[in-house]
Amino acid sequence: MNLTFTLNGRPCATDAPDHWTVLDLLRDGLSLMGTKYGCGEGVCGTCTVLADGRPLRACLVLAAHVRGRELVTVEGLEVDGRLDRLQTAFAELGAAQCGFCTPGMLLSAKALLAERPAPTEDEVREALAGNLCRCTGYTKIVEAVLAAAPGRS
Amino acid sequence: MRLHPFRLVEPESLSEAIDAVARLDGEARLVAGGTAIVPMIRLGLVKPDRLVSLNRLSPLTRIALDGTALELGAMATLADIERSPVARDGWPLVAEAARRVATPAIRTSATIGGNLAYAEAASDPAPALLCHDAEVRVAGPGGERVLPIARFFRGFYEAALEPGEIVTAVRVPPAPEGARTGYVKFTPRSAEDRPLVGVAALLVLDEAGRCREARIGLGGVAPTPIRAGRAEAALRGEALSDATVRAAAETAAQEADPLSDLMGSADYRREMIRVWVRRLLVRLRA
Repeated sequence: MNLTFTLNGRPCATDAPDHWTVLDLLRDGLSLMGTKYGCGEGVCGTCTVLADGRPLRACLVLAAHVRGRELVTVEGLEVDGRLDRLQTAFAELGAAQCGFCTPGMLLSAKALLAERPAPTEDEVREALAGNLCRCTGYTKIVEAVLAAAPGRS
Repeated sequence: MRLHPFRLVEPESLSEAIDAVARLDGEARLVAGGTAIVPMIRLGLVKPDRLVSLNRLSPLTRIALDGTALELGAMATLADIERSPVARDGWPLVAEAARRVATPAIRTSATIGGNLAYAEAASDPAPALLCHDAEVRVAGPGGERVLPIARFFRGFYEAALEPGEIVTAVRVPPAPEGARTGYVKFTPRSAEDRPLVGVAALLVLDEAGRCREARIGLGGVAPTPIRAGRAEAALRGEALSDATVRAAAETAAQEADPLSDLMGSADYRREMIRVWVRRLLVRLRA
């Protein structure tokens, strides 16, 4: 089936089998490996991407269902060679260890900060719910998101 | 890991969708947000050779007033419902229950129609909709019909849908004047789980603090979401003393029909009904 959508700010026209998910399309169709395959059931969160600014589980959503929408993956966070302030905060505050959950964490946080530029810690934790990290214990991730919040600095 | 291959049919209208489902006998499955059917396909629980997507039926995403009632199109996502100013202002119980489903990135895909049609016993929205005496609108080869939500759930993961029928909308009447409502969800492991026990309640108290109206919806405590009718009867006309609240919670635990599973035994579920019905009623009487 033919698909056109916007990917990381650029128009994208491609072809995919009917049974592909958004995750299959990104990794196998478009060779964008930043979005990870974790559980495949929508539980772990590492496949999270943004669709029209909102977080979406790429492993659960059929590729056909993002036709015409604006997708952002972790590769699209960097603009003109400059990291997003969330990425900088994650790096500076040690919010990534093995890094496998990081793409989903970053994009979930990105959606939150677009909607709430000065979130409370509870709001950060709620927005990150469903993004499992087995290394950090979450504390530094929450700190990094709060540090990157434009309304809090 | 790829999904078992299927052909995707993407009708542009409701009548096309009904035709598509009818033509495919029992082999077709509907997909709305995909948050339930995609894991089922991945786990090999179902192997449909065709999926009929409702994604292009954009009129079904509508959230709007219909007279005095709230109409939720079947394709409205739970994220849309939790953010809808109309729902939040007039139907806070429904908005709150929608917000308690799974996690934010699931709720942007998961739809209210899909949630109901899946007929999950531990649905978060269902107890809230039961308290509102919501009606489920259904369309199929035989035309349209409207089902009270209490009759929509037929059994364990079984909705009262005939072959080829599609949920199109949920109509939610307003709460009575002065109603107090709340939803509590108990998850023993992780906040995003399905509830071990979910309790929605709607109370109207008179000046003396007696219950003029009492409605209690329960999720996760029987093969389907249920109303705790006997507990409600025990509350009507009564002031919400500690003893009355405790007795109503006990009655709710007795009229439930819980299953044992990996999350908890039937006895534990009954005990948690006692606890969470009591806590919610105490919160609402304040």
